[in-house]
Amino acid sequence: MKRRIFSLELILALVALVGIMAVGVGQAMGEGDEDGGKIIFTKPVKAVVFDHANHLAQGLDCESCHDEIFQMETGSAEAGDDFTMASLYEGKYCGACHDGETAFASNTRCTVCHIGVKGYNKETSTGTEEKKGHE
Amino acid sequence: MKISNLERQKNEGPDALPSEERRKFLKFGLGVTGVFLGGSVLSLTSTRNALGEMGPVPPAGKFPYEPHYSMVIRQNRCIDCERCKEACVRTNNVPSFGYRTTILELEKDLGRGEKERVFMPVLCNHCNRPPCVRVCPTSATYKDKTNGIVMMNQKKCIGCKTCMAACPYNARYFDERKGIRAVDKCNFCFDTRISKGESKTACAAACPAQARIFGDLTDYSSELYKLVHAPEKVVWVLRPETGALPNVFYMND
Repeated sequence: MKRRIFSLELILALVALVGIMAVGVGQAMGEGDEDGGKIIFTKPVKAVVFDHANHLAQGLDCESCHDEIFQMETGSAEAGDDFTMASLYEGKYCGACHDGETAFASNTRCTVCHIGVKGYNKETSTGTEEKKGHE
Repeated sequence: MKISNLERQKNEGPDALPSEERRKFLKFGLGVTGVFLGGSVLSLTSTRNALGEMGPVPPAGKFPYEPHYSMVIRQNRCIDCERCKEACVRTNNVPSFGYRTTILELEKDLGRGEKERVFMPVLCNHCNRPPCVRVCPTSATYKDKTNGIVMMNQKKCIGCKTCMAACPYNARYFDERKGIRAVDKCNFCFDTRISKGESKTACAAACPAQARIFGDLTDYSSELYKLVHAPEKVVWVLRPETGALPNVFYMND
């Protein structure tokens, strides 16, 4: 009897652990994904989207940006104080390509990358709003 | 007075008669019958004083005001970071269930499967002919006589919400918190900032992209004046068909 309870606890703990890991991976914007998935930056403003798939489809590969322009580690760009539009205009970060020649200039078409608070909520919600609507 | 002449006169209709005028008219009537102005109930002697109460009907809009506060929204600069909303809530004690300014989102179809996201900041337009003021039965909402800001006198508000229905811009909310229980709205931060010498509203000051420019439309040297009158730019207002003559101007730059 005691043994059974123990094994039940073990199974529960395992399930919980897997769940936590899955959530953790999800927050890290798909670390396990081959292409890095979608990155959503929230600093310095909420929120900017970077979709790896879009950029790979343009013929870029990992080495195009990593590790010279962007480090692979999640959050490393946001950690810097110079991750601003002013830096982009100087050719840093996204501005390396988004200069008006290689890709559209950083000071144009703002909302292509800036998805805002609304976009952030859409990207991070797990369909809870839809459920509410049906109740 | 000839009846035939009166018949030929054009009917002013209800459009030209704001609630305040109706109230004045009623007061005038009470004056004539002597309920007001010290007359006895049956007297008709104080009509001269009563006429003084009536006053001339003001023109539909007396503008520009001085200063004539308004705002330019450079729409393509808005990235929905919502710092303006946060600043507004902090500054003006806005409850979670209402807003004085918010950001609308729409998707424009550019063709060939391409879409463009557009964020549109909205707030009270401080109209020159404000429909909300026209319908308020208690004059709780009014257009400030010097600066043209559409203000709220919450003590007078009876919470009928007619102004909320009349506003073409959905810029009003009912603050149902205890001790307030009145309609509230954007007042260009007049009580919290502008009257204290600040030059910008909280939202305009918080915007990292200068999408919101607040200023005086009669000040030729102001950035706002220059933007609104830039000959090469298209400037538009929201819902012009209502005839409210809004004071929030939109443009792309």
